[in-house]
Parts: sequence; structure tokens; C-alpha cells
Amino acid sequence: MTRYALRSMASHKLRTALTAIAIVLGTAMMAGTFVITDQIRNAFSDIFGTSFAGTDVYLSRRPAFGNGTGGAQVGPLPASLIGRVRAIDGVSKADGQIQAIGSLVVHGKYLSSQGGAPNLVVSTLPKPFNENTLVDGHYPNGPNQVALIQQTADDHDLKVGQHVGLTTLQGVKPVTIVGVFQFGDVSSIGGSTIIATTFSDAQRWYDRVGKTSTISVDGEPGISPAALKRRIGAQLPHWVKVQTGTEAAKEQTDEISGAINSFFTPALLAFAGAAVLVGAFVIFNTFSITVAQRMREFAMLRTIGAMRRQVLSTVLGEALMVGVMASVIGILAGVGFAKLLGALFKAIGFGLPLAGISVHAWPGVIVPLAVGVLVTLAASFAPARRATRVPPIAALREGAVLPRTWLSRFTPYIAGLALLAGILLVFQGVTGSGPTTQRLLTIAGGAILSFIGLAMVSRYLIRPLARAIGWPLSIGRGASGRLARENTTRNTGRTAVTAAALMIGIGLVVFFSVLINGFKQSFIGSIDESITSNLIIQSHSQGNPVPEDAVRAAQGVPGVDTALGVAFTQVKIGHGGTDAANGIDPATLPRLYKFQWQKGGSDALLGRLHGDDALVEEQFAKSHHLAPGDTFQVTSIDGRHVTMHEIGQYKDPVLFSGFMVSRGTYSELTTDHNPQVLLVRYASGTDENATTRAVRQALKPFPDVNVQTNSEFKDSFSKQINQLLYLLYILLAMSVVISLFGIVNTLALSVFERTREIGMLRAIGTTRFQLRQTILYESVITAIIGGILGIVIGVVLAWVVSLGFRSSGIVFAIPYGQVIVSLIVAAIAGAVAAAFPARRAARLNVLEALQYE
Amino acid sequence: MGVIEARDVTRRYGEGGAAVDALRGISLDVAAGQFAAVMGPSGSGKSTLMHILAGLDRPTSGTVAIDGTEITGLNDKQLTLLRRHNIGFVFQFFNLLPTLTAEENILLPLQIAGSKPEHEWVESVIERVGLGDRRRHRPAELSGGQQQRVAIARALVSRPTVIFADEPTGNLDSATGAEILAVLREAVDTYQQTTVMVTHDAGAAAIADRALFLADGLIVRDAPCKDAGDIMAILADLSAR
Repeated sequence: MTRYALRSMASHKLRTALTAIAIVLGTAMMAGTFVITDQIRNAFSDIFGTSFAGTDVYLSRRPAFGNGTGGAQVGPLPASLIGRVRAIDGVSKADGQIQAIGSLVVHGKYLSSQGGAPNLVVSTLPKPFNENTLVDGHYPNGPNQVALIQQTADDHDLKVGQHVGLTTLQGVKPVTIVGVFQFGDVSSIGGSTIIATTFSDAQRWYDRVGKTSTISVDGEPGISPAALKRRIGAQLPHWVKVQTGTEAAKEQTDEISGAINSFFTPALLAFAGAAVLVGAFVIFNTFSITVAQRMREFAMLRTIGAMRRQVLSTVLGEALMVGVMASVIGILAGVGFAKLLGALFKAIGFGLPLAGISVHAWPGVIVPLAVGVLVTLAASFAPARRATRVPPIAALREGAVLPRTWLSRFTPYIAGLALLAGILLVFQGVTGSGPTTQRLLTIAGGAILSFIGLAMVSRYLIRPLARAIGWPLSIGRGASGRLARENTTRNTGRTAVTAAALMIGIGLVVFFSVLINGFKQSFIGSIDESITSNLIIQSHSQGNPVPEDAVRAAQGVPGVDTALGVAFTQVKIGHGGTDAANGIDPATLPRLYKFQWQKGGSDALLGRLHGDDALVEEQFAKSHHLAPGDTFQVTSIDGRHVTMHEIGQYKDPVLFSGFMVSRGTYSELTTDHNPQVLLVRYASGTDENATTRAVRQALKPFPDVNVQTNSEFKDSFSKQINQLLYLLYILLAMSVVISLFGIVNTLALSVFERTREIGMLRAIGTTRFQLRQTILYESVITAIIGGILGIVIGVVLAWVVSLGFRSSGIVFAIPYGQVIVSLIVAAIAGAVAAAFPARRAARLNVLEALQYE
Repeated sequence: MGVIEARDVTRRYGEGGAAVDALRGISLDVAAGQFAAVMGPSGSGKSTLMHILAGLDRPTSGTVAIDGTEITGLNDKQLTLLRRHNIGFVFQFFNLLPTLTAEENILLPLQIAGSKPEHEWVESVIERVGLGDRRRHRPAELSGGQQQRVAIARALVSRPTVIFADEPTGNLDSATGAEILAVLREAVDTYQQTTVMVTHDAGAAAIADRALFLADGLIVRDAPCKDAGDIMAILADLSAR
């Protein structure tokens, strides 16, 4: 029977190829995910390995809690520790290093890194800690000297001896480029700009006088790093974290790996999973159709004595071979996909360092192979079972119909239940408690279940949908339109599954569009409602503060009524998780921000905000069970404990989640008390444009701050969000492409099935063009059905998920434009998919077609 | 002069030593309103002849004219339009579209041509083939005879120059076959519809005005039809030679 299955595949090469592609693309995404995440991990491992190669022991400030996203920066160590460490027996050398954020200003222009990578400033370490390689000049050894990484020098054509500026917390400092270096032996780390200064310059410029970010220690010969670490650790206070160089490298690598493993890999795998699910639909459909078409063949096998089991293994054998072949090709294609992803991330502004490509058996080969093969087998199992039910008599009779199973009576109910259960599971995953991974899996499982449920239900919707969609065609396009409409309803099950494959891709596109639009609208809506400033000013470098001097400069501009810096950082609340602490000026904030007071609060509360008083956000109060008058414990990243006293509640989960304290109190919670955002409001009656120009002029000395009017700020926010959305679209495009192959396959098989009919149509005067049109319309109707189903399920799932995020202020807002575009995309996809089968049908020889059995 | 004029038509399949001559030089005329039967054993070339006359296949040499139009030089588009306007088909296996009702199947040629059906004409055709009460049914709900009636109506509806019927009774029992032949005969008589029927059934050929006998790619006898017995005799005579 194996030979029989092989022959069958070989004689239907096209069908086999089209079926295989459905799995190739999904497994390629999967394999590619493993390849690229491996590349990123290896790159960071190399980076940190190089950084710590010459370091025996490494000292830093011990954070009081895990450094979450948007996390607080760990504070510095006192510089006096350097001397204390040097005095320890066994220490040969110890030096401090400052790490900060900043970049060069060349001809008044701030040099950003590529693709959102950080703009780093570090002080130069001496040998043996310095693992960089000089390419030109020397390392800074006097005031106002800098060296830079080769990529930055190359990108901006900077030469040794050139005079440029460097952004610091004290404005732009004039510096001279004295050297160009490589990091280890590479010219760039993922597009970051790296500027090296002297230790003392860095201390002065980045608010670190008398302090150091870290200390690197070299041991005397004969003492192991581990022993030295123990010895140093024993003599220093507990808030100093002492690690060997190897441990520090490993910890930093692990931190990146953790982020990759907990977010990046699962997210990419989810998209690959969607592609595989679509592939499963295509495979199920193809096998269903071919089993129906080969009924006489199976009956013949049965008449000559084949067992049901043998018929089953013929079909499953074919599926197995398709699965193995497709998965192997997919894994090979995965390398290409990884390259594509790398280029994609770079293009949309995700600068990531990438090491060379390496493929590992686990999980890079085994997982995609197993998934590809198992999914193919699972998807073809039901059709294979159906093949076994073909009665031998069907060999002799034309048009034998397979008996319906007792189960088929319940199909609509089962499908409806699956759809509902899926939606409920998604809701439970979103609102339920439990580990994030488990909840995400629940959501994914629910989504899959609802897709399958809707695919099964849609069988009963095909007729009315096709009638409605095909109506204009049947009126406007005559016979072709009418025939196309009839053809889509001829085998509703087949049309349903074909459309359902497209439904998944379109459904996910719509789901993300709606969800992200909701997020965007919430944020923009909050700004419109609450922020009454004219300007919103932030640093160009993500997470970098706006210098206090810039705030003062803005305040000094004539026409400016209020310039207010808002600072925020993550702190640990009680013994639980982290939340945002917002440092504000209670006297001026109400001029720029409209409070939505809760529990009878009013702006009068701001006058009472001193010392350890806090205003808390409604959600924060809820999750920590706080009422006005209650107290709560806060721990800063540096380990300082403060007891806060709630004096009132406001509502704004989007812009000011967590709690608000005065800037004075805030400075106790962080070492970096510069604000992240500067809000500027003009006095009434001033010329807005003129004042904006004046503020820009006044902030010229701070080229790293980005002066935006409120509408500019909202625009650039929207743009960033849209970029994320485009990335999602590109990842989902694969699912749409696979379903496209599914449409091609179904149409090609239908054309093959209707050969004689096509012959008749041609004989009685249908032109090739009319025939092509008929198939084109059939395809477009099917695709639009898929699009409509996708939009429905996408909107429903997004609505369910948005319910779960309602307390975080996320609204549910349908982006109608994008939804309509996705329907048009579906229609175009259908038209594209029709091209090949339509051509095939039109090319059929009339006579041969007429005589086809 | 006839609505069909074929001159020295040959058709060769394959090349070199494996070449088969299906038609070896056939000339014939079918006059307007005539009902001609083409007879002959399997492999005699009767189907090939019909395909060439109907513009479904091209002769290797020779010419065919339908209603005065030389068709052997036409391209696919022109041939399609010729079939659409000048030719009707009745097939052995009915070849109806399963998704359309009887009436929709009948109207299909007009739909394809984009022309408006004349209500009275359509009604007359449906009445003539005896489908009045079955017009809303789909092919699967019709008997074989009823399906063939739909096919005949479909062929008549566009008032073609000539209808080609390819073994129209070949897939029916003899009683139903006789009914179908009667319908065809009536259509020829009522509408003066030129019809060419390919059949190997002497009884079927007997209702035609004229029978052409083919053997080995040549017309071996061209005689008016009297009755089935006469045709059987001719067949016996031919096979004896």
C-alpha cells in the first residue's frame, strides 16, 4: 500500500505541492523563530562575554526587586568603595565605570541610534577591563575627550580630531573625538551608539559626582575569581552586589534570554501557530475533496480485497509523506525566514544584535518537524476515515454518495458549542487569575476552538452569504456571475472550509486592529480629555530624562504659563508586585491636567500633598485594598522603604497609573529625579505658533529633547503604534498566503471535478473569458465570505479581550477603515488565487473535457 | 446547397507509423430542416465527423461550412461564438448543470449569450418537450428521460442553425428512448430544425429523414430512411462485405 500511496502522490504532483506548501510556510515560520531567537541570544551572550572577559569580580548596586519592564534604573555605588576594594588583599586592580544615556550632537543634530537601540555613554575602563579594540586615535585621557564605536563614526562620517557636542544632564558639552574603537572585534552592537568619556567627565555630566555605576576588579595571580568574590563580599554592605565576571555575564545574558523566552519566542510562535492552523484547514479540505473524488478508486480497492484499514493507511500514508516532506522543506526555508525577520525588525526600528545562523536539532528541527507531521496527520484523519466508509459497490455506480454518520446530525450543535466555548475560554483567559503563560495558552486555545467552531457553523451560512454577496454579480455580470454564485453553494462544506482558512488570517488581522485601535484611542482620548498643555516634551532616547535645566529654560520663555516636569519610576508595593510612582508638582499640575477625582476628592487635596502623602489611582487602590486614610509600604529599586499615606483617589489608569507624590518625596524613591516628561502650557492670549517657536529656540541647547505640540505627540504615538500593527500584519500575511494556496487548491480540484461540465459550457458557446470570469467570481465570493467571517470573529474576540482590559482604561473601538480594507484585501486575495485555476479551466480542450469521465 | 457543407474532410490522429486516419475524405450536405442520422460501428469515425461539423474539432484537411460560413479557419473565439449562435447540442449523458433548475438549464445558452429570452418562445419550447410541470426541479430530481428533454429544450432555445445529438438515447431504456426520439422528431417538424444525430441504434436512425453510414472513415451509404428493418438490412449488408 505504501507504493500505492507514493504513486498516487507522484501522479498528482501539483496537488501534492499545493498541499505541502500549506505546511511548508507554517513550519518555516516556526523553524525561523527558533533560528532568530537563537541568533539574538547568542549575540547577547557574545556581547556580555566580551564585556566581562577581563573582569574577575564585578560590583554593582543590588536591586530591591526584579527589574520589570519600563523598569527603574538601579542607582550608583559610592565612589569611595573603589578605594575600599583596592585595599582588599588579593585585589590587583579595581576601577569604577559610569554608564549613562546620551549621544553626540553634530552640527546641531542629535545622533540617534539605529532602530531604537540604546544611546550609551560609558566611561573608559583601563586594561584589563577594557575589551575594546582601538581602530584609530586613543581612548579619552583628558577632559572633554570622547571615543566612539566604529559604526557610529562610519555612519555619520566622524573623524578623530573633530569637535562635536555630547548631550548630558547639564546640556550639551563640547567634546573632541580622540578615538574610534570596536567592541571586542565587532564594529556595532545592534545599532547602539556608544560614546566613551573619562570617568571624571562622566561623573560630572551625568549626576554621578562621588559615585560610580559599577566597579570592575582584577585579582592577583593565584586567587580564583570565586574566592576573591567571597572575600570582597564579606567586607562590603549587603546592598552591594558582588559577582564574578562570569556570573555577571551569565546573569545579563539570562536576563535577555528570559525576555526572549517569555515574550519574543512565544509571540512569534503564536503567529507560526496561526499559520499552521490555517495549513491544517487547507490540508483537511484538500484531503476531503480528493477522497470524494477518488471514491471509485477506493471502492475498486475494496472490491479487489483491500481492508478498510488498508484504505485508511493509503490516505494516512500519503498524508505522512506530505507532512514529512513539507516539514523538512519548511525547516530549511526557516533559515530564510529568520533572515527576513531580522531585516523586518531592522526596517521597522527594532535594532537587535544578531549572531551567525546556527540550527539546533532541539528545538529548531524537532519541534517544527513534529508539529508539521502531526498536524498533517491530524487534519487528514477525518477524510481518511471517510475513505474507509466507501462501499465496494461504488466502484460500479456513478455518483455514489457516502453514508452520513450518526454524528453528523449533531454537527451544527457541536460546532455552535465549540464556538461559544472558545469565546468563553478567551474571556476566562483574559479576566482570570493565574500565571500569565497559562492565561495566554487559555486565550490561544479558546481562539483556536472558536475558529474551528465558526468554520463548522459557517457551513450553514454559506448559502445566504453567497446569495447576498453574489447578488450584484448575478445582476451585473450575467451568466458568469450566476454560475459562480451557484458553484459556491454547490458544496457548502467545501466552500466553508476554504473560506474558513482565510477567515483565520483576516480574523487575526481584524482582532489586532481592533484591539490596538482601542489602545490607541484610549491613550489619545485620555490626552485629549485630561492634558491641557500646549507641548509634550520627551527625550529622543527612550527612557532618558529631560534635564531639569531644560524645564527651567522652557519656564523662562515669555508666553509660557507653566512648564512642569513629571517623573515616574517603578517601585515595589508592600510585598507584592511593582507599580508606578509619579512625581508631580501639586501646585502646578492642575493647570495642565484635569483630575477625575473619586470618593469626593477635589483639587483641594493637592494643597495637602506633602511628605509621605500620596494620591492613588482607582485601580491601584482596588488591587491593594486602600481607602483614603490608609497607608501602604513602598520600596525603591535601591532598597529604600517609605510608608505612604493615601489622602485621596483619582481615576486615570492610562496616563497616571499607580500613585502620585510630590517631587520632593519622589526623589526619595529614586536616584534619578529628573523628569521624563515636560508639559508646557502657554498663558492665555499668547500667539501659540510664536510661543512654540520660542520654546524650541530656548531648548536648542538640549538637542536630545523632542519638542512636540500635543497633536504632534499624538501623531507620533499613532505612528509608533501603527508600526507595531504593520509588523503584526506582516507576520499574519503568512496565514493569509497559506489560505490563498488553499483557495487555489480547492478551485483547481473543483475545476478538475467539473471537467465535463466545463466541456458542455464551452460546447454551447461559453467563451474562455466567460469561463475565467466564472471561476474568478467563485473565488472572490468564497474569499469575501472568509473575510466577513474573519471580521465577525475578529471583532467578537477583540471585544471579549477588551472587556478584560476595561479596568485599565482600554476602550473598544472598531477601526472601520481598517476593517473595510481587510475585506478588500480578502477579495483581492480571492482574485489572485483564481488566476491559476481559471487559466487551467479556460485552457481545457472542449472535446476531451466532454468525454472526460 | 445545404446548411452544412463538408468537402473532402479528413482527420488524422497521431503521426508517423502510429497515425490513425479517423476520417478519410468525407463530403456531405445537409439541407435546411433535414433530420440526418449518422450510423456506423464503433471506430467508424461517426463521432469524429460530428465533432468536426460542430466546430469542436478541426479537420486535418478539407472544409466545413455552416450556413455558408467556412468554419475550419476560425479561431477559438470565433468558433465559440459560432457554437453559441448556430449550434445546439444534445449529449448522451445529458450534461446539465446540477446547481440549476430545469428552466435555468434551458435558459443557460441565452444567459451565456447575454440575450433576453423571448417569453413566448421559451414557453413554447418547454411545452413542446413536455416539461411544463417539472421546470422548477433540479437535474438530480429528474428522471433520465426528463433530463434529456431539458437538454433538447436547451438545444432548441437559441434557435440554432443545426442541432447535433450524440447518441441521445444511449443512456436511456428503450421506452424512454423512443419518447425522446419522438420529441426530437416533433421539434424538427414543428420548427424545421435541422438536426444531425449520431447513433448506432437502427431504431433511432429510423425516425430520421436520411441515414448516412460510415465505415473506416468513409461514407459507405447515404440513403433515405424508411423504417428500422430497412436500416438493419443495410447494416447487415455493410458488415457482410
